[in-house]
This record gives sequence, structure tokens and C-alpha cells, in this order.
Amino acid sequence: MIRFSLVLAAKDLWLLLRGGAAFAQALLLGLLLIFLFSLAASGEEAVGGSGAAVIFWLASAFCQTLIFTALYAVEEGQGQRLGLLLAPVPVQALWLGKALAGLAVLALLQLVFLIALAVFLGRSPEAFPIQGGAMLALADIGIAASGSLLGALARGRGARESLCSILLFPLLIPLLLGAVRVSSMVLAEAPNPALTAALGGEIRSWMELAAAFDAIFLAAALVLFPFVYGEEG
Amino acid sequence: MLRLEGVTKRYGERLILRDIDFHAAAASLTYLAGANGAGKSTLLRIMGGFTRPDQGRVIRNLPPGGIGYLGYETMLYPELTALENLAFWGKTTGRRLPKNALPTMLERMELAPFAHDAVGTFSRGMSQRLSLGRLLLGRPRLLLLDEPETGLDAASRALLLREVLHLRQEGAALVWVTHSPETWSLAGEIAGAVCVLLKGKRLSFTERPGECGWLRTVCGEQAGGGR
Repeated sequence: MIRFSLVLAAKDLWLLLRGGAAFAQALLLGLLLIFLFSLAASGEEAVGGSGAAVIFWLASAFCQTLIFTALYAVEEGQGQRLGLLLAPVPVQALWLGKALAGLAVLALLQLVFLIALAVFLGRSPEAFPIQGGAMLALADIGIAASGSLLGALARGRGARESLCSILLFPLLIPLLLGAVRVSSMVLAEAPNPALTAALGGEIRSWMELAAAFDAIFLAAALVLFPFVYGEEG
Repeated sequence: MLRLEGVTKRYGERLILRDIDFHAAAASLTYLAGANGAGKSTLLRIMGGFTRPDQGRVIRNLPPGGIGYLGYETMLYPELTALENLAFWGKTTGRRLPKNALPTMLERMELAPFAHDAVGTFSRGMSQRLSLGRLLLGRPRLLLLDEPETGLDAASRALLLREVLHLRQEGAALVWVTHSPETWSLAGEIAGAVCVLLKGKRLSFTERPGECGWLRTVCGEQAGGGR
């Protein structure tokens, strides 16, 4: 199953990056958000860690909607979905493959967004690098797990981007809240030693929440995906 | 290998299939015939496990990955080359393919000179031949064919028929949905059985298709629709 998922993810990444349209669309959307935010903030005092964190995760969430609809759209043009369903693996392997591809693309986009934050907003990671990285990974896993499920749900529907956004964003709120809060500490100026311990405790509790939501999204996706993408009624 | 018992399917109020029994044994070729809207493609999708029947049972005695499906849609990625498409679909079969399996398959499908061309530039016939190659890599035990000959020239149709019959010789069960008069004319000669659907109901299932020339009239002239 894992091998099949990796093969599917590699094919999707190749198609997405070679075709370029969906990837470029997502990248430009994210960069535009950061750039516009920087214009809005110019002339006043420098953008704080919270502002930078909000715009970073907003860009990530919007882009992920575009990426997952594109990932599932490639299986619709010539009936490829039926061929994948006939493969000798559980149908969840398709979900995992799409989630892995989406996760890789999201990580790539976020790398660019981090550079854009430094360039346009003058914000770069200052503190808690390990916890920040772990929180980023936890939030991305949750976004990819739910995005892959909801991308499948929205496939073949006219307004799939809208449908995916409507379904995805409310579910992601707790995860994004935690990610924004932790990222704002990472992007803020390094706290004094007295504060570090207190903030470290808060980061841990947000990470626990994120891990719990990841577990829920993963379990829900594994259970629901066959009904969403497998045999039709 | 495949058995359907009392299969019924509705889409909303519309009755598509009514109490269908069907069987396909190893090394057999069954033509599935009927007018537009008779329910042939739905029946094929139920056989393949893509659609759930509302009533009845589908019994498949097949290994994992033992079903192949070839329809009008080729299941190929137009942005990938012929070789890349075969490589991807070959990896999804779960079988360990010999090192030269892909070039050999391209040769067999008469597509070797186009191995590195994007499939989006292929003609209909070339795409369908490549799709057949994709299918053969998996060596299916049950092959479902949903009018794959549509839009093919004589040479591509002959290649399709040659490969499909070769699969049958190797023990695969074939179920072929067709509307094509040319394919129909072969039914009496090569098919082991012909199943005719009329308005969602099985009209006949004969294992001596040579004796059922009248079926062509039924399939060609009866209006479809399963209301």
C-alpha cells in the first residue's frame, strides 16, 4: 500500500510541477496575499509576529485548496480514477498518495512564503526553532489529511474550489489557531529567558491539540475515503 | 470467475437494471448487447465494482487486481509520455515486471517510435492501443470492455481483437459491450456467449451465439431507456 501511495504521489508531483499551472497559481496567490499585506502595513510600525503568522497560514490554507482540487482533477480527464480503483491495494492508498503529494507541495510553497515574509514583512523565525518546525509539520499533516479527503469529495463538481474551501476551512480552525499562535511566537522577537519557559508550555499544549486533530483527521479520512472515492451508489 | 445474481439498479426513480443474472467463466468471451440506455455500461460498472447494485449479489472469484477495464476513455495522462504512462500503470499492477516489459509492450502495440512523445499528441487509435498495453501489463483475469473499438480504424481494431483473444487463450474471461456492427458480425464466430439487455431486463443469454442472428435486429432497432 505504501509503495503504491509513493508511486501515485511521485506521479502527481511530476504532473503538477511539470504542468506548472496549478502550482504557479497557488504560489502567486500566496505571494500576492503576503505582498498586499505588506502594502497595507507599510507606513505604520513594523508588522508583528502575529500578523506575519496569520498571513502565512492564510496563504498556506488557500493554496492547499487549489492544490488538492488540482491533484484530484488529474484523475478525471480520461477516467483514470477507475483504473486506480482497480489496483490491488486498499482504496485508502489513493488518499494517502494524494495527501503525500499535497504535503510535499505545501512544504515547498511554505518555504517560498517564509522567504517572502522576510523580504516583504521583515519577519523571519527568531525563537523556538524546534517547536516551530514540529508545529509546522503537525499543522501540515492535518491540512493534507483533511485536504485529501475533501478534494476527493469535491471532485467532478463544477464549483469544486468553493466547495472544498467551504468544507475545509471550518474543520481546520482549531488546527490553524494553534499553528498561528505558535508561529507568532516563532516569528516574534526572541523572548527573555524568564518568558521562554512559560511560552514553551503554551507551545506544548497547542502541539498536543494539533496532534489530537491530526489523529481525528487521519482516522476520519481512512474511514470515510472509500465512501467518497470508491464504489458509487 | 464472475457471477451476478438478481442484480437490480435504480438511479432515483429510473430503473436501470432489473433482476439480472449473468456469469462469465474462465477463457470465455461474452458479448453484452442492447440498445442505448439498455443498461449495458451500468451492468459492466457493477461487474467491475465501480457501482453498487441496489439489490442482488456480485460474486467475483478473482485475485487482487484481477479486473481490467477498457472503455472509450483511455485512462492515460496526456502530459506524460507513452513510456511514462506505461511505467506508472505498470507499477500500480502490484506485479514485478521484467526489465524490458515496457519497451516490449510498446513494440507489441506498434508504438515504439513514439515512446517519448506526450500522449496528448496521440491520435485516438494510438491512445487506445497504449491503453490496451497498459491493461495487458496487469494480465487481468476478467477483462471488461466498454465499446473500446469506437473511433478506431481497421488496423487498430484488428490489433485490439488480436490481443483480447490472446488474453482469452491465456484463460481470462472477457465481457465486451458493443454497438459496432463490425464487432457484432464477429459475435457469431468468436463469442462463447451473447447476453442481450432490453430496457434494463435480460432478454436472453445464449451460449450458442451463431444461432441468434435475430439478436442484432433487437439490439439495433429497439428503442432504449429503462423507464
